[in-house]
Amino acid sequence: MKRTVAEINQRIKDGDVVVMTAEEVISFVQSEGVERAAKEVDVVTTGTFGAMCSSGAFLNFGHSEPPIRMQKVTLNDVPAYGGIAAVDAYIGATELKLDDHSGYGGAHVIEELISGKAVRLKATSDGTDCYPRKDIDTFVSLNTINQAYLFNPRNVYQNYAAGTNSSDRTLYTYMGKLLSNYGNITYSSAGQLSPLLNDPSLRTIGIGTRIFLGGGVGYVAWEGTQFKTNVETQFGAPMGGARNLATIGDMRGMSPEFVRALSLPGYGVSLALGIGIPIPILDEDVLRATAISDEQLFAPLIDYSVQSRNRKPLKHFSYAELRSGRVELFGKEVRTSSLSSYLKARQIAEALSERIESGEFLLTEPVASLPADRSMGTLEVRSKEEAV
Amino acid sequence: MAKKKFLLGFSPDIVNEPIVYRLVKDYDLKINILRAEVREMGGRLLMEVEGKAFNIKEAARYLGEAKVDVQELITYVEKNEDRCTHCGMCISICPVEALTMDRPSWKVRYDSEKCIACGMCIDACPPGAMKFRI
Repeated sequence: MKRTVAEINQRIKDGDVVVMTAEEVISFVQSEGVERAAKEVDVVTTGTFGAMCSSGAFLNFGHSEPPIRMQKVTLNDVPAYGGIAAVDAYIGATELKLDDHSGYGGAHVIEELISGKAVRLKATSDGTDCYPRKDIDTFVSLNTINQAYLFNPRNVYQNYAAGTNSSDRTLYTYMGKLLSNYGNITYSSAGQLSPLLNDPSLRTIGIGTRIFLGGGVGYVAWEGTQFKTNVETQFGAPMGGARNLATIGDMRGMSPEFVRALSLPGYGVSLALGIGIPIPILDEDVLRATAISDEQLFAPLIDYSVQSRNRKPLKHFSYAELRSGRVELFGKEVRTSSLSSYLKARQIAEALSERIESGEFLLTEPVASLPADRSMGTLEVRSKEEAV
Repeated sequence: MAKKKFLLGFSPDIVNEPIVYRLVKDYDLKINILRAEVREMGGRLLMEVEGKAFNIKEAARYLGEAKVDVQELITYVEKNEDRCTHCGMCISICPVEALTMDRPSWKVRYDSEKCIACGMCIDACPPGAMKFRI
């Protein structure tokens, strides 16, 4: 059985397309078998909703009278990067409000803009002959801004290590609150619904792939930062971080339901983002990969009290075990928590299915593939000579 | 038998009154202290009391007469449903399992009856859905 993206799009236009979520397809393949199921299903939709720290927004505010070349820019007192052209800025999700420890940051500004709220823009400049204005203090919203799009360098991680804490004090990490003496375990993946676990070698996902991003439409822009392929696999799926994607998409059309600011005390601010990716069922192998279940997907468990990049996994757990709420660790029962929302992951996969079935969302073929072989380097303290 | 939770506020001049002793001895109440703090402005005591409904009522009257500020609490921690993303981060944090994951809906359920107002979930909730009502 072979199928092309063009044929799938024709079926979408004809109203004949068969779409299933990555959760629904598991039991369908179990009952029908791969061969029959591959003939039946055209598209499998995936979804995830979790903290994606490496996210941010490019904004163009429009020119003031007289014009200003903004050098220092803040939005609701959160610094944005102004080292680009005159009235462009980039606000990163994890940037914190100046002189404030309330846990407010770039992610909150992004969520407020997407919610339709006004945010306070302050900018200063040295002033030039062509841009004489030296400061401005005003309010902006998505109604007044020219361009507003998320451009996220590292999103939708293929898989992610679970965290625990062997020390005798509570740790506050980006994996949440980790109680002392292995008091709990936290994990963050949609598992069987997760986009890149359903197409583990990225056969169908590449640069230009149209995706569900924050409730609106986005695209895969590039390989994500720290993208790597040299990770041990089980049932074809990596048992750790591995691949991820840089994504881009218009903030107009996004919804605060799928773009949510997070505050992790002791760590900082992050952005929870909803992403869904459709997988065109080009052949039986593509379908087989989408039918993987939480029982077959594994996460390494890392002890966050070890403050080194060389932490070795204590153990691997399947997502079925982690999602059950309790696992056994060193002979003791330990409760688990998810940092990503399975409910929202499911809602995203379902919403994407509906958009495809209604003809509103067509599938794309990648413009270029993402790397098939990539490892990740480390940062060492080196001399100028050693660095080249 | 009835069970109620009270938040008591003490001004500095009445901290020497053995209030908990009186509640046990005179009103036959079973007391579980959930939270206690003393500050310059006085003290606060959050407790669960169990006993005959009439005794609890009389005990509250006694406390009022002893110039203790008495507030009965129904919910201590509130969950903002609009803010909650149902991730479940709070679940392994809550020591009394007042927060649980409902399956197969994958929604976080909050049972305020079980809540002991320890506040552990508040800074553990990434989207900030859990707040003290006090």
